[in-house]
Amino acid sequence: MKRLTKKLMAGTFAIGLALVSATGAASADSSEPIKIPIKNWSSQIVMAHVIGGMFESMGNNVEYVPVDNQASFEAVRVGDITILQEVWQSTMQNAYYNAMEKGGLIDAGTHAAETLEEMGVPNWVIEQGLCPGLPSWEALKDCSAAFATPDSGGKGRWLEGPQSWHGEVMPNRIKGLGLDDTWTVKFAGGADALWTELEAAKKEGRGTVIFNWTPNFTDASGFTFIEFPEYYDGCRIADGGTMDTTGCGSPKGWLKKGAFWKFPKTHPNAYRAFSQLSFTTPQIGSMAALVDVDKMTHEDAAKKWLADNEDVWKPWATSVLGEGN
Amino acid sequence: MPSYLKSSKAIQFGVLFIAFFLLNALIGPSESNYLWRLPPLLKDIPFLINDLVRGLMFEWMPIDVYDPSIDEYEQKPLFREITRAISSSFSFVINAVREFILGGSKTIVAFSSWDFIKENPWAVWPALPWTVVVGWAMVLGYKLQGRNLAFLTGVAGLYIAAFGQWSPSMQTLSFILIAAPVSVFLGLALGVFAYKSKAVEAFLNPLLNVAQTMPHYSYLVPIIVLFGVGDHAAALVTILFATPSMVRLVLLGLKNVPTDVVDAGRMSGCNDFQMLFRVLIPTAKRDVLIGVNQVVMQCLSMTVIAAFIGAQGLGSNLLIALNSLRIGTGLEIGICIVLIAVVFDKMSLAWANKQTDYFADLSFTKRYRHFLIMAAILVGGIVMAMIGSIIFEEDFNYFYIVPHNKGLTTAPFWQAGVDWVWDTFFYTLKSFNEWLITGVLVPMRDAYLAMPVVATFLLVMGTAYILAGLRSALIVGGFLLFIAFSEYWDRALITMYMATFAVVVSGIIGITLGAACAQNTFASKAVLLFCDFLQTFPSFIYLIPVIMLFGITDTSVLIASLAFASVPATRFTVEGLRSVPPVLQDAGSMCGVSRLQRLISIEIPIAFPHIMLGVNQTVNFALMMVIIGAFIGTIDLGQLILKAISEPQGTGIGITLGVCVAFIGLAVDQIIRTWANKRKLALGLN
Amino acid sequence: MASQGDEAEQRQAVIKCESVYKIFGNNAQSLLQNAQGKIDAKDALAAGCIVGVNNVSFEVSEGELLVIMGLSGSGKSTLLRCISRLTDATGGKIFVDGQDLLTMNSKQLMEVRRDKMGMVFQNFGLLPHKTVLENIAFPLQVKGINTKDSIERAMNMAELVGLSGRENYFPRELSGGQQQRVGIARSLAVEPDIWFLDEPFSALDPLIRKEMQDEFLRLQSVLNKTILFVTHDFDEALRLADRIAIMKEGVIEQLDTPANIVLDPATEYVRKFTQEVPREKVLKIEDVMDPYDSTEEMSDIKVSKNAIIEVVAEQILSQDKAVGVVDDNDNIVGSLHSSHVINVLFGNRSQEQQG
Repeated sequence: MKRLTKKLMAGTFAIGLALVSATGAASADSSEPIKIPIKNWSSQIVMAHVIGGMFESMGNNVEYVPVDNQASFEAVRVGDITILQEVWQSTMQNAYYNAMEKGGLIDAGTHAAETLEEMGVPNWVIEQGLCPGLPSWEALKDCSAAFATPDSGGKGRWLEGPQSWHGEVMPNRIKGLGLDDTWTVKFAGGADALWTELEAAKKEGRGTVIFNWTPNFTDASGFTFIEFPEYYDGCRIADGGTMDTTGCGSPKGWLKKGAFWKFPKTHPNAYRAFSQLSFTTPQIGSMAALVDVDKMTHEDAAKKWLADNEDVWKPWATSVLGEGN
Repeated sequence: MPSYLKSSKAIQFGVLFIAFFLLNALIGPSESNYLWRLPPLLKDIPFLINDLVRGLMFEWMPIDVYDPSIDEYEQKPLFREITRAISSSFSFVINAVREFILGGSKTIVAFSSWDFIKENPWAVWPALPWTVVVGWAMVLGYKLQGRNLAFLTGVAGLYIAAFGQWSPSMQTLSFILIAAPVSVFLGLALGVFAYKSKAVEAFLNPLLNVAQTMPHYSYLVPIIVLFGVGDHAAALVTILFATPSMVRLVLLGLKNVPTDVVDAGRMSGCNDFQMLFRVLIPTAKRDVLIGVNQVVMQCLSMTVIAAFIGAQGLGSNLLIALNSLRIGTGLEIGICIVLIAVVFDKMSLAWANKQTDYFADLSFTKRYRHFLIMAAILVGGIVMAMIGSIIFEEDFNYFYIVPHNKGLTTAPFWQAGVDWVWDTFFYTLKSFNEWLITGVLVPMRDAYLAMPVVATFLLVMGTAYILAGLRSALIVGGFLLFIAFSEYWDRALITMYMATFAVVVSGIIGITLGAACAQNTFASKAVLLFCDFLQTFPSFIYLIPVIMLFGITDTSVLIASLAFASVPATRFTVEGLRSVPPVLQDAGSMCGVSRLQRLISIEIPIAFPHIMLGVNQTVNFALMMVIIGAFIGTIDLGQLILKAISEPQGTGIGITLGVCVAFIGLAVDQIIRTWANKRKLALGLN
Repeated sequence: MASQGDEAEQRQAVIKCESVYKIFGNNAQSLLQNAQGKIDAKDALAAGCIVGVNNVSFEVSEGELLVIMGLSGSGKSTLLRCISRLTDATGGKIFVDGQDLLTMNSKQLMEVRRDKMGMVFQNFGLLPHKTVLENIAFPLQVKGINTKDSIERAMNMAELVGLSGRENYFPRELSGGQQQRVGIARSLAVEPDIWFLDEPFSALDPLIRKEMQDEFLRLQSVLNKTILFVTHDFDEALRLADRIAIMKEGVIEQLDTPANIVLDPATEYVRKFTQEVPREKVLKIEDVMDPYDSTEEMSDIKVSKNAIIEVVAEQILSQDKAVGVVDDNDNIVGSLHSSHVINVLFGNRSQEQQG
């Protein structure tokens, strides 16, 4: 009977007033919510909730704002979102540095994770011997026919991300490597177009050379990046390189964080925690996997991750508290 | 029309084409020949626009604003402060509606502060159990129309809750509940202004066209800076998109009010206000209601685009689902959007019709009864939620809020469906696709790109002259000149090639389908319903299977465009043919024409002006989808617009590109509208 | 004719038009300023204008039923619209109850319309979204009369025009004649002094039209309004009018009583209308009687001076002697010989045909 009463009470609360347990910790942070962007890929969303959970554990209010990736760089400058938690070098550095130049966005440090963003092939391409010699780029010289599409004019096709990601880098690379007689670059409209192509190619069993990155949910089904001549600063034409050097591959990419310039002032503790925060590649991978593989909701995945990895994130949060006291 | 006139038009076109091909043959590609390509005289325009917009957003008339959070004064431009004030009022209303259903504390914060919430943790508005909201909606449906609408509402609510889309659906709904009425109100107001003053009409017309044809992505950055990211900004963009067709239909309806009715109103001694609200608008009700329907459809068709600038709800969930290729989930979300559209549409129609029967509805007890039932539902829902908290001890309380992604799912079924489509059709489609690309699309694109600029002008302006007269030809020429002097002529040609293809094919599909279905009342209704479905079902969902089947090619872009752009052509054809006076049909029958002859020689010519207005909208829709095709992968203006967003000078470039797209739409609009009006006059349909 | 005019002057002129013009086109004002009296059609054409109403002056006295008759394009409806100010006249003056209508601001005009004017339209002009009752009550509600009183009044009006039992129908559910009954009831709901009817029966079937005309006469005999009635139907005009104004190309060709118009057409144009008119059906005894001569030997039969010839013709023709004509008080005011009747009925007409 007592149990039932208790449950009824719980039910009343459920439809009644939500009880938020007040955190006793003293904090100099403003009670204005920290606005965290939700973009459209899994790891970013889970990470948003992980970081949000960390902020909440420190007594901050958090608000999640869905926003387009391209739009987020403008939004963070005027403070409509407070942080950028996942800035990929290859696809977003243009937008990131442009926003910083315009003012309003500050660099909030770099994750430990190293990313790789490069042209590559799904593993079955190698297994079926569609292009013997891969992953070395030299192999591409003789197998372009297997990668032709109706609109590529007989040439093999590289499917690159949208032009807004790296501009002319891939067309230049093809020319720099002397592959432009047999290969051409097609720009896809977005990430989902890339994944759809990957899926379609797999179903049909045909080859495809496609832009991809790791960590990513495609890692699970097997993906091999092509090995191009090594990258060094200034090898690309845009960075002062020549046609001879622009054939270089992609650098090991960084994964940066950014913040609205007022964030350190309004939420000093949260900002310090955020700037110290640094995830590794396996950590990010495990966040994405909870959703992509285990089919959890993003919120649940974040809760589980926070619970499982207290030793990872607690130091960032508590060290701040220690300093604050 | 006498036959010699008909043939004279044919001769005119013949001469035009000969001249066009001669120019094509005579002028070869050459950088220095201005007959081949005009010099980019306007290439600085994007930068001018950029400076202008940025000045407005960041520099013009700075005022000192105290920011308590950092205890400093900050200089902010006046204009942005004003736009931000507008958006925060929107934000407040949207949040108030949303939190009434889903719970939250922002509305309370608006009257106090975040500190207050922090110190008083009880100050949170509780969410209503979904059962209560659905129950209330059903009562509303019953009150407005009766059992059928209540049933439909119940089914929709149950579907949404069962598939775990409750919260996002209510988020979307709360933003539609603001955007749609505001659009309707604005549309009414502007429509009335345009009706009252020719000058206002002349001023509004191009603005409406631009608002409808300019791709949203091209003014994304200014919108974000001025209005912020979130539901309020999304609502504003939606309003911008949904209002024009309302204005048009209100204006059309008001113009069609019989003069006798207007006179009767005046002779009854109506003042302006009474005239408007008791005579004109009620008499124009049919068109006004079509406008309301269009507003609802367009608001919901914007849910996905709205998610780009921060609208919470189904749109953003859909994008997330599609980004990891979960087509089944995407489909379920898409159906939620369609269901909300249908229920919302039916309720607004029923409400508008209800208004007239105020006599039958005066009985006070009846109203009272509905409130009683609603109160009972509230209590019942709460009790059920309490019971639910016992039953679902270890799990979520399904009688309170069905959490996102924890409901039923049919995703595996749909996934299997996609697989089946693949297995069944892929190889057939593949050869078709190859033929289409190598045999039609690529040659067509090359032909467009190989046109000397003078030849393009000749063809377009000549067509405009023959069909619509000199004035239209000059206007169209002006639009094209802007594009030709910009740096984007070649890209624009590619956009034009895809749009042309999409318009021609969807025009053929739409008119054929419309003409076939118009022969039968049931088929007409069915096809119009299907049009509603296609218009609100987010195209992003079928983009995925389309890309799988046809690859990242122009074919995919065009198929997506066809699905969307066929809608207005079909809709207007059905409406146009259904409104042909029966007398004419009888007259035709008595002349002994066959069914087909009657259609071709009587009904279609009479309905022609109306059909052309549909084709006009088809052009707009096709352009819009071709631009959105940038998300698949194109090399036209759309791709540049997408690219411009992250560029330093992107604001100006984006707007300039958007204007180029709008001008293509406006040019076609000019020709078709003038032509249709001329035909209307000739047929005495005014 | 003279006696008619005197009579009209004795009564108060409810509507008075002085040199009213309505000119369509951009140069209307300059054309009007240069005009002396009637505007010449050629001048108007040269100025790119069309003259709808051309220098029209007349008066309508209280309780009088003036029919404005003309073919389409004659400017009759335009004239009516000027007088009701649904269009603004280009020039001239229009007085209603002595008030200058053209100088009124929109508020005053609104008041005049709400209290003094009612109008019936050719295509009924009913509000499609309102029921019969609501349509009739509409002018009352516009005035601000509360729902209960206005509906009560509308019920009475519906009964008056014979629509009892159809109060809750929508216009689309009614026949044309019924719709026009609604229009009539609506126009009378505010009990106006002045009643405008713009071709009210033209859209109806001939049989219904006849019925509605009878209905109209019945109503007028009860209500005794001051009426401007526009029609293109000469028979209708003859049937209803106290006086008829015949219009052609914006000009009033003749304004007179039906009898005078039939007996004495002022212009060739008017004559054409009168030719086919069966006079015995139009003319009254007093229109054709001779002055009473007390020396003359009279028949025993007496006829009323108000009787239509057709009705009493057989009686008169059966007598050899002249028949006495009496007024309402049974005083003999004239005499009529059968030969005279024959002359009226057949004589003149054969002359006309020969001529």
